[in-house]
Amino acid sequence: MEALKLEQVVKQYGDKTAVNGISLKVGPGEIYGLLGANGAGKTTTMRMVLGLIYPDGGKILYNGKPFSDELQHMMGYLPEERGLYPKVKVSDQIIYLARLRGMSAGDAEKSLRFWLERFDVPEYYNKKIEELSKGNQQKMGFIAAVVHKPQILILDEAFSGLDPVNVELLKDTVKELRDQGTSILFSTHRMEHVEELCRNITILDRSNTVVQGDIREIKKGYPREEVALRTVGELSGLDKIPGVSAVQKQERGYLLSISEIGAAQRILQHAMAAGEVEHFEIKEPTLNQIFIRAVGESNE
Amino acid sequence: MNKMGTIISFTFKNKVRTKSFLITTLILILLISIGMNIPYFIKVFQGDDGAKDTQIGVVAEQGNRAAELLLSYAPPATAAADEDEDTDTVAFKAFASADDAALKQGLDDEKIEGYLTFDAKGSEGVPPVTYHSKDGELDKDLKTYLQGALQQINTQLIAGDKLTQEQVAAMFAPVSIGTQQLSTDGKDGAATDESKPVINYVIVYVLLILFFMSITMTGNMIAAEVTSEKSSRIMEILITSASPLTQMFGKVIGIFLVGLMQIAIISASIAINLMLPHNASILTDFDLDLGQLNYGILVYGFILYVLGYFLYALMYAAVGSIVSRTEDLGQALMPVMMCTFVAFYIPLFSISAPDTMLIKVASFVPITSPLSMVLRIGVGEVAFWEIAVSLVILLATTFGLGWLAAKIYRTGVLMYGKRPSIKEIRKAMKAYKI
Ligand SMILES: Nc1ncnc2c1ncn2[C@@H]1O[C@H](COP(=O)(O)OP(=O)(O)O)[C@@H](O)[C@H]1O
Ligand SMILES: [Mg+2]
Repeated sequence: MEALKLEQVVKQYGDKTAVNGISLKVGPGEIYGLLGANGAGKTTTMRMVLGLIYPDGGKILYNGKPFSDELQHMMGYLPEERGLYPKVKVSDQIIYLARLRGMSAGDAEKSLRFWLERFDVPEYYNKKIEELSKGNQQKMGFIAAVVHKPQILILDEAFSGLDPVNVELLKDTVKELRDQGTSILFSTHRMEHVEELCRNITILDRSNTVVQGDIREIKKGYPREEVALRTVGELSGLDKIPGVSAVQKQERGYLLSISEIGAAQRILQHAMAAGEVEHFEIKEPTLNQIFIRAVGESNE
Repeated sequence: MNKMGTIISFTFKNKVRTKSFLITTLILILLISIGMNIPYFIKVFQGDDGAKDTQIGVVAEQGNRAAELLLSYAPPATAAADEDEDTDTVAFKAFASADDAALKQGLDDEKIEGYLTFDAKGSEGVPPVTYHSKDGELDKDLKTYLQGALQQINTQLIAGDKLTQEQVAAMFAPVSIGTQQLSTDGKDGAATDESKPVINYVIVYVLLILFFMSITMTGNMIAAEVTSEKSSRIMEILITSASPLTQMFGKVIGIFLVGLMQIAIISASIAINLMLPHNASILTDFDLDLGQLNYGILVYGFILYVLGYFLYALMYAAVGSIVSRTEDLGQALMPVMMCTFVAFYIPLFSISAPDTMLIKVASFVPITSPLSMVLRIGVGEVAFWEIAVSLVILLATTFGLGWLAAKIYRTGVLMYGKRPSIKEIRKAMKAYKI
């Protein structure tokens, strides 16, 4: 059974529809990606999952059951704005939040120390949030979201504003939690993290679902339109090959846009005839390209 | 309940630890200590430390009866006893002439304040007297003293042969007027026609001011706390962790304890200052007698304070949760502040007329009743049933408001940006359970 299931969930603010009939399922031990530009409705969807606001239509089920207050203890939430007391010590507020979610003071303290060790910053225990850098505040927010060992974890733009080292650190942590069985709903407007983490995604565009499903399936559904080619010598006449719509000369080799897949073979033959081929690849569309395309199509 | 305890202790600890709390408390203690010691400081600066011994020279030739009597003059005993330790003594010292070296020395050293000379003997009694001093001034107290003394001597000179010195002194002893309260058998029981000694007015004043200060200070604290939790979005995490009703009451009680602690600190510093030896006479100076205190007012005062506190604190919290930015808070709080002012000024201006219709009505209206009732209990006339009815109304309103405030809190938390319209609030309030 799905840990979390949304069916045709709708949310309206006045006349404005913020989320228009979203449906999705997150299984145990799965990271689910919610993608979309700013204002697409990601945060609104997450707030409904948390029970912070109520949907105007549709259903949200947790392990097959509707929302109840007891569920709050098994959910963890990292809001977009981080949500910590700036003037309160890390230990005080994280233990406080853990206790509000039903942990004992002793367990909360142990769990907090574990996480501080995990992030290699045990000295933050006694620091105030305002004394920490933005990125480290974000890590503390993450700890606050996971300190009580939630089964459903909701991360709103968890990686935005982090340096690459910390992004890797958080990614690894999120994967660990997934492997321990946590269901994670993860939103972002940056595509690059998603391919590595998520199996299934939903792309939202201005409150509507435009693309949904398994990332590999989605990619299969989009035509391959790019060929990367590297040869020992210079090549000429690439743009004369039928089906090639554009040629970009790159630092090493070429990037060709093709309008039909048959053109890829003609390019390879042309290159082999001219000399030695070092690298040839028919590229998968990136999520970024799919996203731009999907959003573009929905706008037409 | 467990969560409530967690919230209360978290709120309390964080508020008490803040710099602003420490600073305001210290400033209050300092102001109280300075204020209560001002009378003492004034005395010290005037060199009037307790009993003052003034030396006055008396310049007169041998055989001046008036001068002789003055030198042996003793002030009436009863008058002095009233003034306790502050008995100023004036000593007269005879000198043969104004050019006397000892007199000059004394004036220079400021050991002798000034000296008196007698004009040539005129009619009967004391001849006109002139006071000579460096600054040419005669201070009020000393003048009164000299007049009293000379008046008595005058009588003695004129009627001296018919009256003894003791009889003359007795004539000048102040007549004492005592007061005795008539005991009436009131129809409404003990509360009617009770005597209202000054101490009760003082207590009412103190309670009014304490209440007002405590409400505005803690109220603003609560509102600011709620708004900051809202703007930093901690609220979103809090609301998904504990019910809004628990949240709100936890905070309000936590800050109530902070306020209570502040009041305890203030009371302790007043008590300590009262106990300082040089302030021992403050109560008696102002004719206050703790024995006359109507203790009912302290008990009722406390109950009214607690209920009134919750009523106002909940209003402040509700307003705090509608506003999304701390900058907008002041303006949004205006209506609540106005209520606080009205509740404070009605009884304050009625303190000398505590039985007007205005006060009677105000003591039943929940917004104003906590303070107006304190006034009526302290210095007015009020029947027990009136107190009971007022308390019941207040209690019911506080509960109703608690529910409403929690609804607003729950709803307001997720309304950002523009100030939500009443219609939006109403619609949302129907949706969210608390
Ligand atoms: N409290 C609110 N009141 C009115 N409109 C809102 C509110 N919250 C979000 N919206 C609107 O709903 C849409 C979706 O917002 P949001 O879910 O925050 O987007 P995202 O998180 O994807 O950037 C936006 O157009 C936003 O303006
Ligand atoms: Mg968002």
